[in-house]
Amino acid sequence: MEGAAVRAVQQIVDGLATGSIYGALALALVLAHRATGVVNFAQGQMAVVSTFVAWSLTRGGLGVIVAVAGAIAFSLVFGAAVERLVMRRFERETPLIAVVATVGLLLLLNGLSSLIWGYDLKAFPPVFSGGTLRAGGAAVSVTALGTFLVLVAVVLVLYVLMMRTRLGLALRAVADNPDSSALSGLPVGNLLMVGWGLAAGLGAIAGCLVAPKLYLDPNMLAGVLVYALAAAVLGGFDSPLGAVVAAWIIGVSENLAATYIDLIGNDLRISVPLLLTVLVLLLRPQGLFGRREVVRV
Amino acid sequence: MNHPRRRLRLAALAAGIVVLAILPLNSTAYTNYQIALVATYAVAILGLNLVSGYAGQISLGQSAFFGLGGYCAAIATARAGWPLPASFLLACVLPAAVGLLVAIPAVRLRGHGLAIFTLALPLIGVALAKRFNGLTGGTEGRVAQIARAPAWTGLDTDQWTYYVVLAIAGALFLLARNMVTGRLGRALATIRENEVVAVSMGISARRYKGLAFSLAAGYGGAAGWLYVYTIGFVSPVEMEFLLSINLLAMMIVGGMGSVLGSLLGGVLYVYVPIVAGTVDPVRTTLLYGAILLLVLFTAPGGIARALRRTGDRLGDSRAGRGPGPPGPGAAPRAEPAASPLPRT
Repeated sequence: MEGAAVRAVQQIVDGLATGSIYGALALALVLAHRATGVVNFAQGQMAVVSTFVAWSLTRGGLGVIVAVAGAIAFSLVFGAAVERLVMRRFERETPLIAVVATVGLLLLLNGLSSLIWGYDLKAFPPVFSGGTLRAGGAAVSVTALGTFLVLVAVVLVLYVLMMRTRLGLALRAVADNPDSSALSGLPVGNLLMVGWGLAAGLGAIAGCLVAPKLYLDPNMLAGVLVYALAAAVLGGFDSPLGAVVAAWIIGVSENLAATYIDLIGNDLRISVPLLLTVLVLLLRPQGLFGRREVVRV
Repeated sequence: MNHPRRRLRLAALAAGIVVLAILPLNSTAYTNYQIALVATYAVAILGLNLVSGYAGQISLGQSAFFGLGGYCAAIATARAGWPLPASFLLACVLPAAVGLLVAIPAVRLRGHGLAIFTLALPLIGVALAKRFNGLTGGTEGRVAQIARAPAWTGLDTDQWTYYVVLAIAGALFLLARNMVTGRLGRALATIRENEVVAVSMGISARRYKGLAFSLAAGYGGAAGWLYVYTIGFVSPVEMEFLLSINLLAMMIVGGMGSVLGSLLGGVLYVYVPIVAGTVDPVRTTLLYGAILLLVLFTAPGGIARALRRTGDRLGDSRAGRGPGPPGPGAAPRAEPAASPLPRT
């Protein structure tokens, strides 16, 4: 019995760690969505590019932490550039066209990263040391704990940025009502670029955290994107906290389902977030943390 | 539509059919299979167009239905020994049913709920195909050489395949054209333009979106059957996510909300990699993405609408009226959104 309990605890901790990776990408999706109202299907592919940049930096002899920091800095610029050069053109179009543009971006970046870095699997150096911590019989890997703590730190930083700084206030104003913000003298275009830059930076964190586990290749994040989208939908798509909590719920339930339900097993675990989302949305169409939308004619 | 234009169109259509009927007798087997594949992918894109172009809902899961239809074809014929027509029916009905099942919760989501939902389908499809490898052949896929020319025709297999695939695709195109110019098309256009107006007119937005998605899935399944009929093989690769977004990209490039655009999309999907002189999937993906963004930047309506607009301009200047307003070319549907609609 003792062993079973320990095993369950470990599954939950591992689930929280993978959930944290989904959460980082889900946060990126939510940030980009709040900025421009677009579900960015290229978010995962942009994160892959960032991760490749980090990989190249480590190959250039930099330590992994420095390389990840470099990749995040690159992503801030990269995300802003994508918003300015590609998405800006489609912001006044129907949402459908804007979403399709992100799909085009996905294809383009997928092809480009294959062209530049090739599509053989690359080992990415681990961000955390490989040790384990023991507490009451359960062994928690440093990687799992570190991943979890990174996301908690990211959420705190984002919270302070959004709620305690003038930049955050401006970002929230633009997300809420771009036209009124422009009339109040806010540089709306620049703020949208900041929003997409931050989103790409978060994507870089997600990519670098998951790369040591999955190996790096251009399609690395296709699966993670599904989980992140499910988390964003489950959390209500406009709520950063909701996205993170939903990502943890998905990570843990996926791990438990894969371990304890034979029918699902390891190869069908990807169906868990979908089933979970269906279940929740049938009961609460606005998501766990979303506000109910009222349509005005 | 004015009469001379209509006559011109019918004449072009008739000439096209004659050319397509004679073509396989004088061309290589390779060309015949290529054209059969164009028709196959055009059907898949047409289905996608029903849900995305006409109903305005992005679907990223078309490859799942394509693959499902393919597996229906391969398993029903090569394993269960069903006759071909029965397997075709199964390849249409089963994906349509699955599509409906998925659509029921998905249409409740606001915004791009369906897109997010459908994104998961190819991944789940691939996982299922690998899991039930006794049935599907796992990663290696399943061989099903089901195309065989009857002796009385005196045709080679490639020629017979060409005729069968093109005939079925033609019938499916005609069916879709009639659907989108009728009540379904008007209802979907209203939902796409303004859902609140649609609902207040008694059009159930959820029901019609679900119907469009189910139809799209059925078309995807039919295309999967045509694929197996042409290639004689199906594997999890035919379900992969990348196929979904490539099809979506070529649908947009061909023309959203256009039957002709779906055909162009099929042509592009098959011939872009060939014309580029490479079958390297990496370059192909890059090229699809670049073409899609280029078209979105320069002609968001896709090639079909750009062609039609050019045609309108030519027709107008020939009639001495000068370049007309962009109206008829810009409007993707025949009726304005506020036209009286039948109650559902």
